Amino acid sequence: MEQLGLPGDTLVNYIFPNNAHVTWSIMIVIYPYITGLVAGAFVLSSMYHVFGVKEFKPIANFALVAAFSFGMFAAVPLLFHLGQPQRFYQIYMTPHTTSAMSIFGYVYSSYLVLLMIEIWVIYRKVFIEKANEATGRMRNFWWVLCLGITTYNPESAKFDKQFAKFLAGIGIPWACLLHGYVGFVFGSVKAVAWWATPLQPFIFLSSAIVSGVAMMFMMYSFIMWRRGRGYDYVMVKKFIITLWMAFILDYALEVLEITFVSYEQGAHWAVIKPLLLGPLYESYVLGQMGFLSLGPILVLGIASLLDIKDKALLYLGNLGSLMLVLQVLVMRFNVVVGGQLISKSERGFVDYEFEFFAKEGLLTATTIFIMPFVTYYIISRFIPIFEGKSIDTEPKRLH
Amino acid sequence: MKEPSPKAHFVRLAGVLGVAFVVFLTLKAILVPSSWDYDNWYRGDALELNASYELAYGGNDSCVACHQDTMDEFSQAKHQQLSCESCHGALADHVKDGVKIADAHMDDESRWQCLNCHEARVNKPKDFPQFDKITINEHKELDDEMLCIACHSPHDPTP
Amino acid sequence: MPEIETHDTKNLIIKERSTEPDSRREFLQHLLAGTATATVLMVFGPGVNARSKYTNPADGPEHQYAYVIDINKCIGCGNCVRACKRENSVPEDYFRTWVERYVVNADGVYVDSPKGALEGFEKLNKRFRENIKISRTVPKMCNHCHNPPCIQVCPVGATFKAPEGFVLVDEDYCMGCGYCVQACPYAARFINPVEHKSDKCTWCYHRVQKGLLPACVTVCPQKARLFGDLNDAESEVSKIFEADQWMVLKPEMHTDPTCFYIGMPREVV
Repeated sequence: MEQLGLPGDTLVNYIFPNNAHVTWSIMIVIYPYITGLVAGAFVLSSMYHVFGVKEFKPIANFALVAAFSFGMFAAVPLLFHLGQPQRFYQIYMTPHTTSAMSIFGYVYSSYLVLLMIEIWVIYRKVFIEKANEATGRMRNFWWVLCLGITTYNPESAKFDKQFAKFLAGIGIPWACLLHGYVGFVFGSVKAVAWWATPLQPFIFLSSAIVSGVAMMFMMYSFIMWRRGRGYDYVMVKKFIITLWMAFILDYALEVLEITFVSYEQGAHWAVIKPLLLGPLYESYVLGQMGFLSLGPILVLGIASLLDIKDKALLYLGNLGSLMLVLQVLVMRFNVVVGGQLISKSERGFVDYEFEFFAKEGLLTATTIFIMPFVTYYIISRFIPIFEGKSIDTEPKRLH
Repeated sequence: MKEPSPKAHFVRLAGVLGVAFVVFLTLKAILVPSSWDYDNWYRGDALELNASYELAYGGNDSCVACHQDTMDEFSQAKHQQLSCESCHGALADHVKDGVKIADAHMDDESRWQCLNCHEARVNKPKDFPQFDKITINEHKELDDEMLCIACHSPHDPTP
Repeated sequence: MPEIETHDTKNLIIKERSTEPDSRREFLQHLLAGTATATVLMVFGPGVNARSKYTNPADGPEHQYAYVIDINKCIGCGNCVRACKRENSVPEDYFRTWVERYVVNADGVYVDSPKGALEGFEKLNKRFRENIKISRTVPKMCNHCHNPPCIQVCPVGATFKAPEGFVLVDEDYCMGCGYCVQACPYAARFINPVEHKSDKCTWCYHRVQKGLLPACVTVCPQKARLFGDLNDAESEVSKIFEADQWMVLKPEMHTDPTCFYIGMPREVV
């Protein structure tokens, strides 16, 4: 027939009447995206705090504050999405434990509290200094933030250091839980062929780390550029290698998933194949799996393996990071919206159109996505995020 | 002033978290609906809510109250297995609080009303009485606007 | 009941053996009675067991409802869709029940459901009218599953299995997250665009509680839609259920629908 690219034996594109509207749209795309940035940034910060990777010391606190800034807004898209946002508290009151979504409230808020405490412990010295310097209202603010303890001595410093390490230690599994769990919310829905795979939590988690590390790299480059005090190229190299390896792992999982579904030739493939060759061809085949994956692997591979130095290294790193930040965003879209494009009639695909000014439109999404950066900027006005005045004014020679 | 213990801030933090936890438990005690069914995990009052929606269709029993004669006649008719509201519309559009608010005649499109069921379609069961365009065209002395029910009784339609 | 009888018979047999040989005739009679019971169990066993999966224990709710759709009778008039819209104020473009038209011809399967069959079906496009093998209209609705994925995924308990088999939504508690909409394999659920809450067929719970039938069943001119009590062995739905000729939608989803179909072509999804 002339209608090509439809599943199975169907002669026309038939979707169930209630499938005409995509229920989960852009808000649910950026929600796992922002959550992923939190998890990725936290893991990066823990590289130093827990695993003692010295190269990442200069950005350990920065990544932590960034994780917190993203964390503040991770659940905001959900509130915009809910039909009855004023009832959100019910997820804390009567969490239905059979539901994959039900403990999200607890996992998310406990993680945010953990982040807050860790930042508090690490910056307590700064808070105390501010409390002792400031006068008037600001003094009260800092005093409350210190919980009334305005002295700092070596013993408490030692205690804080251990406490911070402990928090970062439990923070890693917690961050993985937070994001792997988001993947589970999708992967466990048997009714949506494109979501239902046990690999989903791992794919979400690994792509979260990739997007977080890539975002940190770009933010770091930007901030250092604005400050004009040079870059720590030893760390930049390490950064790039970490990102490259994390993405290879992530890409391997994504390839594994699609290879498995296609090789299996099962019921799912019957609808997934026309989906990927039809509505998702540009965003999945060309975008997510094509240019936005092979590009970074190549660019970051060159930057990691060849003897590339200084600015060239920085440019390659940023190019790779930009592509990866987009790759993960597109991947979230392909999963969340893509899955819903397959009508449950199994005989047709839903038409999806971007909205701009709607409640769940692109404008809202962009605004929410800018907020963490604004938050980071505000926090950075109050506390020093990059220690010391200048880390490395003279670019170091590598090798 | 005495130097506070190096862990004093930790103790206070624990205190803050403890207070937050108590506040949470209090809120939980207040905000969980009182009729909550912990075994089946739903608000017990929801059953009442779901039962409380207003009826639109009353069923044939509700028609008998005023239209006993028609019902007696209808019970022998060819269309007897149909419910009144299938063609006449919902009771709620006809009677409100025991008072008639509107006529319950068939809509003006009653030719559609007949054809919707009886026009021939491949998907209809073979033993179901259906008329294709040709049969209807045998009535060609009639104009297109003429209603089926002008000749065929809607309750007891005979050819 | 029959199981107890079998048990008794066995006891009797043992007893007989230990007593006088005189009672051989009696023994044979009992033996025969035992065989007869076993035969009864073999013939009616599976049906009874299958129904007992859904029927309630003696101390449970009085009714256990089920729905039957006889595809051989449906004419696709859309009365049910219109009645459902009116009875439950279902918003435009969304459906608690809808009717699909399946046309299977030599080339493949054609399916449509214009406006959910709110205005019935227009004559089929000529292109698909050649070489038709099967053509049927298939009403669809919430299957009120015995193992409902929508209830499993609701994070707050705003949708639930009510006693007597109804899968209901608590409108005053739903936050409108839409997870249930994703989890339903039948697209029976939607987020109500006016109320912004999850919405679906309730089997007209408000009507059934007042002793009436669901609106769609009331207005069906062909008795293609049946609603009844599985606890009542004499009800129409019980008889159909025990005749074991029914089918359910997407059995591979293991949702155990309690909405049963008769005469469903295999092309129906």
